[in-house]
Amino acid sequence: MLKTSLPRNLVTSNSKNKLTNKLIRQSISQFISKKTSFTILTTVMLSLGLTACLPNEKQDPKVGINKNPYPSTYQALPAISTLLTNATILTGTGERLNNADILLVNGKVTQVGNDLLAEQATVIDMTGKWITPGIIDVHSHLGVYPNPQVESHSDGNEMTSPNTSEVWAEHSVWPQDPAFQAARAGGITSLQILPGSANLFGGRGVTLRNVPSETMQGMKFAGAPYGLKMACGENPKRVYGSRKVLPSTRMGNVAGYRSAWLAATEYKRAWDKYDSDYSAGKNSEVPKRDLALDTLMGVLDGEILIHNHCYKAEEMAVMIDLGKEFNYHSGTFHHAIEGYKIADLLAANGNCAAMWPDWWGFKMEAFDMVEENVAIVDAVKNSCAVVHSDSATTIQRLNQEAAKVMYRANDNGFALKEEDAIKWITANAAKSLGINDEVGSLEAGKNADVVVWNMNPFSVYAQAEQVFIDGAKVYDRFDEKYQAKSDFLLGQQLDNHVSKVVTQLENNSTTNAATKPANKK
Amino acid sequence: MKNTQLLTSLRYVLLGALTVTTSVVQAESIAITNATVYTVAKKGVLSQATVMVDEGKITAVYSNNEVPESLSADTIIDAKGRILTPGFIATYNLLGLIEVGAVSDTHDSSDKKADITFDASLAFNPKSTLIAYARKGGITSSLVMPYGGEDVITGQSFVVNLSGDFDSVIMPKNAVIASLGATEKGSRATKLQTLSNELEDAQKALTKAEKASSKKGKEDEEDEEEKEAKEPSRSELVLNGLLSGEKPLIAYADRATDILALLKLKQKFNLNLVLAGASDAVLISDEIAKANVVVMMSAIDNLPSSFDSLHNSLTNVAKLTDAGVKVIISNSGESYNINQLRFDAGVAVANGLAETSALAAITANVADSFNLNSGRIAVGKNADLVLWSSDPFEISTKVDAMWINGKAMSLKSRQDALRERYTAETDMPRAYTK
Repeated sequence: MLKTSLPRNLVTSNSKNKLTNKLIRQSISQFISKKTSFTILTTVMLSLGLTACLPNEKQDPKVGINKNPYPSTYQALPAISTLLTNATILTGTGERLNNADILLVNGKVTQVGNDLLAEQATVIDMTGKWITPGIIDVHSHLGVYPNPQVESHSDGNEMTSPNTSEVWAEHSVWPQDPAFQAARAGGITSLQILPGSANLFGGRGVTLRNVPSETMQGMKFAGAPYGLKMACGENPKRVYGSRKVLPSTRMGNVAGYRSAWLAATEYKRAWDKYDSDYSAGKNSEVPKRDLALDTLMGVLDGEILIHNHCYKAEEMAVMIDLGKEFNYHSGTFHHAIEGYKIADLLAANGNCAAMWPDWWGFKMEAFDMVEENVAIVDAVKNSCAVVHSDSATTIQRLNQEAAKVMYRANDNGFALKEEDAIKWITANAAKSLGINDEVGSLEAGKNADVVVWNMNPFSVYAQAEQVFIDGAKVYDRFDEKYQAKSDFLLGQQLDNHVSKVVTQLENNSTTNAATKPANKK
Repeated sequence: MKNTQLLTSLRYVLLGALTVTTSVVQAESIAITNATVYTVAKKGVLSQATVMVDEGKITAVYSNNEVPESLSADTIIDAKGRILTPGFIATYNLLGLIEVGAVSDTHDSSDKKADITFDASLAFNPKSTLIAYARKGGITSSLVMPYGGEDVITGQSFVVNLSGDFDSVIMPKNAVIASLGATEKGSRATKLQTLSNELEDAQKALTKAEKASSKKGKEDEEDEEEKEAKEPSRSELVLNGLLSGEKPLIAYADRATDILALLKLKQKFNLNLVLAGASDAVLISDEIAKANVVVMMSAIDNLPSSFDSLHNSLTNVAKLTDAGVKVIISNSGESYNINQLRFDAGVAVANGLAETSALAAITANVADSFNLNSGRIAVGKNADLVLWSSDPFEISTKVDAMWINGKAMSLKSRQDALRERYTAETDMPRAYTK
């Protein structure tokens, strides 16, 4: 009755006058409690432009926010059950197993240990090889800042407003970026593609499986939480300060974050109220959708994880408190050059810190680099130290990036081992991205993301020889059948030179894995 | 001892002390015994060898059976079998011309006014924090290549050692730099034409001057004023240096067509040409080898970063070397982490390059291309030496000792001071830990 009696334009929100709405709601409850007649109520509501409804009215269909409008269509590549034997296995859980085997069945790791038996599996002798979980890079711009580095494909940063929480990096991903293949050859099996750092809020990041696909959706890591890119420090204040727009200072940065979180808090309150009113049978006004606030609300709801470009100790400490002020977790600090200055604080607050081993100097906020940063952050109990790349070049050798930290730290009093350091690019990275239930370690039940290395992966001479994602081989250094090539390079890159040297290497490789039939042991 | 060294390095770095303080041994003569010596010279690799240093030069290199029974030196160092190499020579960077990338006050590598006479060595800062850090990677000297100006010929490079001393510049204005290839505005053709025209004009002027001077020899003295007028300009003098082959021309170029055009210029003007970048050089490796042109390139840039660079590959250094091209593995614009040059060399080895070739690519090949008295362990060479804990290319290896001109170098940098501060046990704020 009420619904039909209210003109359509009165059902829209009147956010400009929240106080009035509040008063109206109070007067409704007063009227109801006094069991005033519906006629009177209707009249009052119409006269005040009332928006809420009564419990026993007929409800409109519930309006919700589709949280997954661009769903993953990823399918694992064809896989067979595989038993990899006699390798040195770094599990990603802090363990090193010598002369060990790992069984991959139906896309999952089913067993890791010594002297495994598998009737139906293809057995591959990996004597002399090392096996690690698939490598995960939490900070990449592949596909959004692709190669070739042409303006037409430069889609990584919507530098038009300090808050672009409404943009999603996945809508910029060019799946034909040849760097995906190069990263795969370096053992990268999952990676988060983030927007750039010019904005206080750069938009959503997306986690991808590193498989060739014609579409972004075909690479998308199903179920992985979205990330929200935030940025501290020099970049936002430089970009917008030069345009005479807030922020032009670090205090301007923080004011910008706080204003946005205030708005997001209001937005969340409106949706929560709509939901609870609806559950209570009311035909409530649907809050007006706002793409930017959708993302921020996702953070407040704990569904979207913060990935915060933030170099300096004092700024990370402020960002931690900012999260507490607005009741969300401050997530992972990226490029945390000064993580070592506040290692205790990071661990106590449950923040991951994603770091380079040794990049420095290009900005003031990158001046205080120490080569042991990752190790110092890692040394604290309950820490989450991650080595990231932010580079289409070093993503190909994240194993060596971790090695640099391990060895320089050990030169200076640490006693880190390979089984410790591998966590920085596997298990801890998975934790940072919220995908650690599925990937990041070699344990029964985890996805079979596996890299076979020709030697200790912390050597400069190490090469990923075979890479598996969900149990399917996606790369083989010695088998062209498993070397994908971007459309971009097809037909314009001359191959003859490449194959010549690789063939030479293959001939020189005396320990090349031999495939043999089942029934080992 | 460790603390003393740290304090020394702190004083050195933070207070900008003018000289290396007394705790760093400054020996007049040194004997490094029982070393595995990679000479990068005729003697190849020597085990249990001894290298003698006096007055900053290498005075003897003894293989195992040549070592005299008694060695006379102020300092004798037992290498215990560890590897001794020539100090590595970095190239293609802005060392000492830049401190903080995003702080423009700290940049001295480019200038709108810069032309072929641009001498950035005047701006070189031997106290830059980048230098002590670079030493940790075994780098003892560097060819610094400033951006210079906006013309095709951007300026001149220079060579420094990494001693941190005020007399670090070894060779100012040692080579001319030209930048070719893809351009946002206009055509790459113009760049090639401009370079060609400038060389041609200089050659014509030279020929004319030669004719004039031979004519002058026959006739009596000409008018003084006319003689003054024929005095070549500063720019012409530099171009003449190129035409005589005295100064190398370092030319940035990636696409094969640009490189081929440069090879033609080399032939026409008899240039001493070094190619920099050279992503697609692999397509014409035989032509480059035949022209005896050195290629300065990254060992790790393997992505098609532009339409000029579609054939970037980790195997390019190996392929060019196999084809007979002399390759220099360069930092490709990197300045902060040039200490990683050794890892880049290691990556090249992992992708098919012989270990000895990789070592030459960061030592002797640079020295040969730019006429440096370093890059080899041989009698008469500068005593720029590095003693390594193990394989110099391996990540697990570190520099155990370094000498530049026979002087022992500190291996501490500001980064070490920060680490020590934040890992020290203390109840006081960290600022009190020095």
